[in-house]
Amino acid sequence: MFKRQRQWASLALFLAALGCSRGSGVDVSVSVSSNSNTTTAPAHGGGEVSKKQQGIIGFSALTLTNPFFKIIAENMAEEAAKHGYEVIVDDANRDVKTQSEQIDTYITRGAAAIVINPCDRLSIGPAIKKANEAGIPVFTSDLQCVAEGAKITGHVGTDNFGGGKLAGEAMIEVLGEAGGKVLVLHFEQAQSCVLRVDGFREVIDAYNKDRESGKIEIVAQLDGGGLRDEGFKATSAAIQSDPDITGIFAINDPSALGAYAALEQAGKVSQVKIVAFDGQLDGKQAIKEGKIYADPIQFPDRMGQITVQNIVKYLNGEDFEQVTLIPTELYRKSDADKDPELK
Amino acid sequence: MQKFVSQYGVVFVLVLLCAYYSFATLNPQQPSDAATGRNLAEFISKQHPTASVLIVVRDSDDDRAYAASIQQTLEAANIKPLDVVAGEPRDIVGELRRLGTAGTKLDIIATQHASAQWAVLGETKLKELAAEFPSLSNVQVLKPSSYTWPTFLTRGNLLSIGNQVAVTAIIAIAMTMVIITAGIDLSVGSLMALSGVLAAWTIHRMAGDGDPGMMTLAFACSAAVLLSALIGLLTGVMVTAFDIPAFIVTLAVMRIARGMAYKVADGPSPIGIESEAFHSLSAGTMFGIPNPVILMVVLYVFSYILMSHTALGRYIYAVGGNPEAARLSGVPVKRVLLFVYAICGALAGLGGVMEASLFSVGNPNSGVGYELQIIAAVVVGGTSLMGGKGKVLGTLIGALILAVISNGMYLTKVDSYTQMIVFGTLILIAVLLDQLKSKRWKF
Repeated sequence: MFKRQRQWASLALFLAALGCSRGSGVDVSVSVSSNSNTTTAPAHGGGEVSKKQQGIIGFSALTLTNPFFKIIAENMAEEAAKHGYEVIVDDANRDVKTQSEQIDTYITRGAAAIVINPCDRLSIGPAIKKANEAGIPVFTSDLQCVAEGAKITGHVGTDNFGGGKLAGEAMIEVLGEAGGKVLVLHFEQAQSCVLRVDGFREVIDAYNKDRESGKIEIVAQLDGGGLRDEGFKATSAAIQSDPDITGIFAINDPSALGAYAALEQAGKVSQVKIVAFDGQLDGKQAIKEGKIYADPIQFPDRMGQITVQNIVKYLNGEDFEQVTLIPTELYRKSDADKDPELK
Repeated sequence: MQKFVSQYGVVFVLVLLCAYYSFATLNPQQPSDAATGRNLAEFISKQHPTASVLIVVRDSDDDRAYAASIQQTLEAANIKPLDVVAGEPRDIVGELRRLGTAGTKLDIIATQHASAQWAVLGETKLKELAAEFPSLSNVQVLKPSSYTWPTFLTRGNLLSIGNQVAVTAIIAIAMTMVIITAGIDLSVGSLMALSGVLAAWTIHRMAGDGDPGMMTLAFACSAAVLLSALIGLLTGVMVTAFDIPAFIVTLAVMRIARGMAYKVADGPSPIGIESEAFHSLSAGTMFGIPNPVILMVVLYVFSYILMSHTALGRYIYAVGGNPEAARLSGVPVKRVLLFVYAICGALAGLGGVMEASLFSVGNPNSGVGYELQIIAAVVVGGTSLMGGKGKVLGTLIGALILAVISNGMYLTKVDSYTQMIVFGTLILIAVLLDQLKSKRWKF
C-alpha cells in the first residue's frame, strides 16, 4: 500500500507542477548598464541568472573500461568545473547505436557542447548531424570523424604519425647496428593506428635506404586487435612462421603485453625487443620491468583539458586551433625509474 | 493477486517507471518556438517601444524560425531589428564589435536560453564590450522565461525513445515466437550485421558511386531480408530435421553470419551508402512520427492478430507447451518451427536494413550483443523461457521498459557501471516474476 501511496503522491506533485508551469514571460538574462552596477533584474517571475552553473557538456566516451578514456573524462570534468560547466560522462561501449542515443540525450538536455570519441568514423555521422541541426557544437577527442556533412567544431588528439616516427626511432635505437626482422601488431580498424604504423614505416624505410647491412626488415604485419589476447594469439603464430624476429612494434600497450606473454611462452623474451605505444600505467610498469623497451606516450590528461578550454573559447566567441595534435614523447626505462606513479 | 501480477504486472511497471522518470526529470524547460518568439517581441514592443534590437540565435532551422517570428512581430509593431545573427558565438562577437565600431546604439539582444548561456552573452564579456564601445554601454539580454516540465516527457525525448526501441522491438516479435516454441535464436545480432552489409554492398554494386534509384534500393533491401530469412529457415531445418538444440545451431549461425558480414565488407570497415532516400527510410517521419516507430506498430498489430486469432498462432503455443501432444493432435510441428525461425531471420534482416539506413552505412560490427538485449526484452515482457507461454504485446512492453530505464538513467545521470548492474538485476526480477506466475516458488 505504501508503494501505491507514494505513487499517488508523486502523481499529484507532478500534476501540481504542470498546473503552475507553463508561463509566457520574458526574462532579462543579463543587463549591462553604464550608470548602475546592478547586473541582473528579472522582468517578472523568477530570475534566471546563475553565475555558478554555466551549462552542461556531454561526453560520450569510446569505452570507460580503458583507463585512457577515463583519464580524458576526469580531466575534462576537472577543467570544466574551473569554468563553471558540468561534464556528464557516458560510456558508449564501442557501440555506435549507444553513442547515438547518448548524443540524443545531450540534445534533449540542452547541452552547451558535446564531446565524443567517435565509435565509428562514418556511422556516427547522422547523430552528429542531429546535434548540428540543434545548434549544439560537437567536438571530437582522440578519434576523428570523417562522415560527410557532419560538422565538427574542434578536435584534440594525439599526433599519431609523429608518435609512430618516434616508435621507429626507438626500434632503431634498440636493435642497433645489427638490425633484424620486425613484426608489426596492427589494429587497422582505427585510423589512429594506421597513422602510427605509417609513421613507423617511414622512419624505418628512411633508415634502410642507404644501408647495405643491418637493415630493419618488417616481415609481417598482423592484426593484434589492440587487445591482450589477440596480441598474444597473433604473436604466437608469428614466431612460428618467423622464429628469428628481433623486434615487435605494437600499436598499443595491451597488445604489446599480449605479445610479451607469447614471447615468454616461446622462451624468446631476450631475443625480441618490443616497442609499444600509449604509456598507460601497466605499459609504463612493463617498461620499468624491462618487458617493453619504450613507448611514445600520449597525454590524455592534456587532451581532456584542451578540449574543454577550446569549448570555453568557442562559447566566448574567441579563436582556437580547430585541430590540435598533441605530440607524444618517448618514454624509456630511465623515465620509468624516476616515475613516482610506478612501484 | 497472482492473476493481477501476471495480467498487468509489466504494464504497471512501465507506467510506474514513466511516472518516476517524469518526476525525477522535472526541470526548467527553455522554449524557443514561434509562439514564444511572438511573446518576446510583444514584450519588447510594449516595454521598450523605441529600443534598437539585435536578434541572436543558433544556426539551426528551429532557431531561425524562432528568430523570424520575433522579427515579424517586431516589424508589425514598427520596430526594425538591427540584424538577425544566426550563428556561433564568434559570429555574435563579430557583430557586436561591428555595431560598436560603427557607433550604432544597441539596447536589447533578443535571444533564447541556449545562446544566452554562451559566455559571449554573459555579464563579463558584455561589460568588456561596454567598456570598449560606448554605444554598447546599455545592453539587456532578453530571453523567454522557462517553465517546469519533465525532460523525460518532452516530444524530442519520447520520439528518441521510440526510435531507440523500434529495431529491438521488431526483432523481439519473432524472438517471442521462437521462445514460445521453447527455442532460442542467438544469431539475430549477427544476421542484422550481415543483412545491413549485404544491402550496402548490393547498392554499391548496382549504383556505383552514383545515387541509387528506388528500384535498386527496393531490390537491395528485399534481397538482404530474404537472404536472412533463408538463413533462418536453414536454422529451422537443423533444429527440426536433425533435432539439434536451437541454442547450439544458432550459436554456430551467429559465428557464421558474423564472419560472412566481415567477408562481404572485406574487413571491419563499414560500407558507406550515399543516398538520402535510403537514409530517410529510418530517419524520415510520417505525420511527425518516425518511420521505424510506425513500422514497429504495424508489425505488432499483425503479430498480435497472428498469435491470438489464427490457427498458426495457436499451433505456436501448442508446440511450445507440449510438442508431443501437439504432434498427436495434428499440429504440423516441424513446419511451425521452420516458420518461426524463418520469420526470426527475416525480422533480424529487416532490423539490419533499418540500422544500415539509420547510420547510412552497412557495418559488419553492428548488432554485437543485440541478441541478449532482445531476449531480455522478451523475458522482461513475461514470456517464459520454458516455452508455451507469452504474449507479443508483453514483449513490446518489455522492450519499452528497457528503453525507458536506459533513457531515464541517462537523463538522471546514472553512471554506466551502475546501469549494467540495474539491467542485470531487472532481468533477474523478470525471471522471478515468471516463477511467481507459474507458482513454482517453493521454500
